[in-house]
Amino acid sequence: MTGWHVGDETLRRYVERTDLVAEGAAVEQHMLTCALCRARVNSAVTAADLAVIDLSAVWDRTRDAVEVPRSSVFERLLRSAGLPAHEARLVALASAFRAVWLVGVAAVLAFAALAAAIGHARGLWYFLAAAPLAPCLVVAFSYDRRMDPALEPEMVTPYPALRLVLLRTIAVLALALPAVLLLGLVVPGEAPFAWLLPAVGFVAVVLAASTWVSPLNAAVAVSAAWLMTVWLLATRSASPAAVLQARTQVAFLVLATASFGIFLVRRRHLRQLRPWR
Amino acid sequence: MEGPPGDEMLLAAVAERDMGAFRTLYERHAGWLALRLARRCNDRDLVADAVQDTFVAVWQKPRGFRGDGDIAAWLWGIAIRRLVSRLRQRTDVAAVFASTGTTPAAEDQVLLSVEYGDIGEALARLSPEMRAVIQAVVLDGLSAREAAQLLHMPVSSVKTRLYRAKAHLRATLAEGLS
Repeated sequence: MTGWHVGDETLRRYVERTDLVAEGAAVEQHMLTCALCRARVNSAVTAADLAVIDLSAVWDRTRDAVEVPRSSVFERLLRSAGLPAHEARLVALASAFRAVWLVGVAAVLAFAALAAAIGHARGLWYFLAAAPLAPCLVVAFSYDRRMDPALEPEMVTPYPALRLVLLRTIAVLALALPAVLLLGLVVPGEAPFAWLLPAVGFVAVVLAASTWVSPLNAAVAVSAAWLMTVWLLATRSASPAAVLQARTQVAFLVLATASFGIFLVRRRHLRQLRPWR
Repeated sequence: MEGPPGDEMLLAAVAERDMGAFRTLYERHAGWLALRLARRCNDRDLVADAVQDTFVAVWQKPRGFRGDGDIAAWLWGIAIRRLVSRLRQRTDVAAVFASTGTTPAAEDQVLLSVEYGDIGEALARLSPEMRAVIQAVVLDGLSAREAAQLLHMPVSSVKTRLYRAKAHLRATLAEGLS
């Protein structure tokens, strides 16, 4: 703008911070309007290695800060629940795929609940056959590589596998259970709640079995076994109430506890999780 | 007119989410901003945080610049306020309004008084506390409240010191004239 520029000697003193107050103030006021002197100060700082901060490191941090996508509602919810930021991110990563699977699960359950609402005994069998399997299938699918591209980077991340698996299981269940519960309200009687313990038991079995085989195979095997049992019970004209009995419920509780115990004992084998196919 | 794009063009490109322009803007301004901030605060980490905050704010609201004055002045306005808000969270770090303590050699002193005249001498005669207030309010353009936060002192002290400093300057300059 004007012909006046900061003198070389003054500039040097300013950069070295040996200037006088009035001098420094003059330099600073001038720099606000003079691109040339700003550039001279910048290059003097770099040349003399007097940069007060590591400019390239701060640039990296700044770029990272602006490039990070805004976290999802689910992730922020997890964070406000007290989960550290990186864990919330890890758990929330799969949410997109989970949504797809929830739709599928909800469809199955809607069918079962509808059937239960129409024809009593028969419909209730459908519901009892389908509902307890939903959570364990969702958990199994959420660990399948084909369903969740986030898994690959996740599994190579040095991170306690046990904690990761548990966190994600809880996250999946937290999403799946309300949907199932809601649909269960359509079904008359105690049945909406009777399936809860079997469902928890099956999830535990899948987790325990995943220390040997892939969770998906485990879930398929558990599902087949359960469907077979329900079919056998139904064809021998037993009442659906048999499943609801306290004794049966206790058996499922034992199953859940035992499976979870096995899972904890064998947690080291979780690293076999990696080459799931 | 000239080769490199002006700051306003860069800022417009940043508004279009142009990372390259953002980087150029950073390289052009981060250096002197950091240096100027470091003259107000000795803690390098805080200065680094303030510089980062400044550019993140620019990325988020590039249209905050209303086109009045120089972009450098706008950036400085953001930067010094970011530093103030960072300082507010950290009561253990005091801002330093430094004249760096070195007294220039006699011939420098003479040169300086030639270049800056009486005002330089008048400023140099102020106590460091008064100079700090003058610097924050008059030179950095902070409000009394912001200056109080930066200097970790009550607003009332900022006001009284500013009043006394102005009286001092007036007296010294009048003395010089007579």
